[in-house]
Amino acid sequence: MSEPIVKLSNVWKVFGAKAREAMQAIRGEGIGKAEALRRFGCVVGVRDVSLEVPRGEIFCIMGLSGSGKSTLIRHVNRLISPTSGTIEILGRDIAALNERELRGLRAGHIGMVFQHMALMPHRSVRDNVAYPLEIQNVSKSRRWAVSDHVLGLVDLKGYEDRLPRELSGGMQQRVGIARALASDPEILLMDEPFSALDPLIRLQLQDQFKALAVSLKKTTLFITHDLDEAIRIGDRIAIMKDGVLVQVGTPEDIVMNPADDYVRAFIKGISRLKLVKAHSIMQPLSRFGGVADGLPRADGGVDLDRLIDLQVGSDQTVIVTEGGRDVGFVSKSQLLRGIQGGEHGGGEHGQGGEHGQGGRDGQGRGHGTPDRRRPGCVRCPDRG
Amino acid sequence: MEPPTDADPDASAARIEVDHSALAASIAGFAGPNGDYYARAFRRIHDSSGMLPATFNVWAAVLGPFWAAARGVWGMFWAFLILEVVAWVQIGRGSWGNPGAAFLERALAQRARAQAFHDRAAAARAAGADATQFETLARNIGSAADRSLAVARDAQSGAFAILLTGLALLLLVKLVQGLYANPVYERQYTNWRIAPTSVESGRKPVNAALGAVLVALVAPLTVYRFTVSGAADALSAFPEKRISSALFADPGATLFSKTAARLDAGIDAAALAWAGFFDGITHGINTILVALTVALNGTPWPVVMLVICVTAWRAAGPRVAVFTAAALAYIALFGYWQVAMETVALVGAAALICVLLGVPLGVWLGTSRRAAALAEPVLDLMQTLPAFVYLIPIIAFFGTGNPPGILATIVFGMPPVIRLTALGIQGVPETIKEAATAFGASRFRLLKDVELPLALPSIMTGVNQTILMCLSMVVIISLIGGGGLGKVILESLQYAAKGQGILGGLAILFCAMILDRIVQGAFRRKGA
Repeated sequence: MSEPIVKLSNVWKVFGAKAREAMQAIRGEGIGKAEALRRFGCVVGVRDVSLEVPRGEIFCIMGLSGSGKSTLIRHVNRLISPTSGTIEILGRDIAALNERELRGLRAGHIGMVFQHMALMPHRSVRDNVAYPLEIQNVSKSRRWAVSDHVLGLVDLKGYEDRLPRELSGGMQQRVGIARALASDPEILLMDEPFSALDPLIRLQLQDQFKALAVSLKKTTLFITHDLDEAIRIGDRIAIMKDGVLVQVGTPEDIVMNPADDYVRAFIKGISRLKLVKAHSIMQPLSRFGGVADGLPRADGGVDLDRLIDLQVGSDQTVIVTEGGRDVGFVSKSQLLRGIQGGEHGGGEHGQGGEHGQGGRDGQGRGHGTPDRRRPGCVRCPDRG
Repeated sequence: MEPPTDADPDASAARIEVDHSALAASIAGFAGPNGDYYARAFRRIHDSSGMLPATFNVWAAVLGPFWAAARGVWGMFWAFLILEVVAWVQIGRGSWGNPGAAFLERALAQRARAQAFHDRAAAARAAGADATQFETLARNIGSAADRSLAVARDAQSGAFAILLTGLALLLLVKLVQGLYANPVYERQYTNWRIAPTSVESGRKPVNAALGAVLVALVAPLTVYRFTVSGAADALSAFPEKRISSALFADPGATLFSKTAARLDAGIDAAALAWAGFFDGITHGINTILVALTVALNGTPWPVVMLVICVTAWRAAGPRVAVFTAAALAYIALFGYWQVAMETVALVGAAALICVLLGVPLGVWLGTSRRAAALAEPVLDLMQTLPAFVYLIPIIAFFGTGNPPGILATIVFGMPPVIRLTALGIQGVPETIKEAATAFGASRFRLLKDVELPLALPSIMTGVNQTILMCLSMVVIISLIGGGGLGKVILESLQYAAKGQGILGGLAILFCAMILDRIVQGAFRRKGA
């Protein structure tokens, strides 16, 4: 993989008049969040976050309100400057940019979509979309052509001359997305873009956005408080709590190996059918006692949904293959436990884990780092 | 909320136990000394459902304002200090005062004069002259003295009634104090729970001392002043002359006359020293005024009328255009055309300068919190200071005539456009500003593309307000030589010419309405 497009290294953000002193105390004496508030009146928004997003990846940051996710994303285009740490965008340290260069970066290379749309009410849809180009002093004919093109990408042809208030919430947010795409930036910052929309429109826009981001190969940082949304859209997900990244991984990683109880609480209601793959729940072939010939076969990357189809059809154990070679098997009970997951019956997850995953659950829980990630498991952008 | 579960079927509000011990501890913590008493009293208040719970605070009743001060219940302190002082004044008047003293004095004086006339009558008789005139006078004055004496006696016999009233009032006040002390203190406790640092709690010696000092200063002097007839003059009127003579050796000089003289000298010196600067301002204003006057009065009247009517039509629609034509016809037919246009030029020049200076100032105040905090009192001053107060220094610096009049108008008319511009700028949603910044907008572009367009409705309201306030100054500036319709009104005021005043006033009203309708209409069309 090439240079990361977005790279954050040890980023801290402390809010308050005495942020510098508080930062020193955090560094020197290792004081905590409550102590910083009590002694310096400072709020710690982001704590020692490091992350890298490669080109074309959709990276979701999930957390509840107050977890610091919106603060974190604003560091990428320096709407907020870090108290400590460095941020490199497209290989350049953005703290070193002067005002003019920073404006150039924002206008030309980073598009942003906001939770509350933040469209200018006095400008037409077309002029709203063209605004990033207007700032770069692009000629009006060119601006209009580009904005009509991107409005076409988000299915808003015919609404160019309307005012934003004449559009529904979902349409307004599509205008927001078109505006972010107008200057063809490498990076998209999405700050809870679909949170204020109703569920059906949200689902529709999520799919539309995912397809668009993949086809346009945009490197995307996507903020959400909804794990379903993160799983649906993200190639990788970071879970944030109290300014710290609790866990970073693929959706399957996070569902199969939650780093702690906090993450575990989140994944409780998540459907695993499309998420968990055969190689995550299979038993090694050596334990299989019967004859493998004639049994249905499936690739290790096949999801549970597909496995159910296979077993419903044949009522037999499924042999899992990796590159055409048999590597394991999934029996009916394993499949059912796999669908159920480590957590069933509310609070009895230890027991469920033992039954369903043969003790591997303990491993995932004990160490924060998932060690069972297999090459075939990583989602690639081209899979759509 | 979860519905009641099966394990707890009778859970209902009525069965919930009240945890008195925690509340009592909190109340005791609030009250400090005598905490147990207040815990019990507040519990009775909390348990009662009537208007006035049956608690009586004996110490509050006996000590009155002293109790309230020590407990930090300052509202109650002042209320009951005043009531108690009223009661004590009645008691004082009843027991030591001399209610009929003035009449008694008068009666004695009248007696003396009657006696004098009797003496003269006797002298006249002794001299053999006619004494009837003196006798009649002496008789009349004597009966007047009797009447005064009767009034004085009545007043003196009323003293006992006053004493009784005073005692009854005091008793009533004490009763109310005792009854209300605990409920009021409980209210303070409730507030204290919300803001323990800013609401007074406990019994503080400092508060008690402050209360005692206040009572000692207020009560005795007041009772003395109302009770003793002919009390010291120093208490009735402020002895400023005596203080002045103590300060200055010169017996004629007072603090007032000296300060006023110094201010006079200062203003005169400044007017002389900065004459060039003030003349420059006058000249600048005059240039704008002359240009507007030429445009409105130099241009042939049919052209001006046509332009105004067409503007009204284009900006605000046909109805306003018809009204404008009718109003202009009134102004022209009653011979006010020339002066009305002069007025419009005056107001126009003032409003123009207000907007040119006010909008940028408003933008600045809208973005800088510190500037806003500094400017707020100045703007208040500009709006509340009576115009006559700043007319005087304006005359000193700028002389008389139209330009100083415009300056006075600006002082009064500028605050609305500044305030409403700042309000509009502050009201621009943060999210939209953030979005523009995120797309690379500079500070200037942010102002031009986002802040000013979104603040425009507010700014236009400010402009309209400013125009109307400028128009309301035309009569006042005619006092310092301003022309136009204001002069017509001033003349009719001087000669009590009622008809002229009404007709001139209507002309001003129509000018105001035309300006207002056109500006508002123009804005409404744009906003729609």
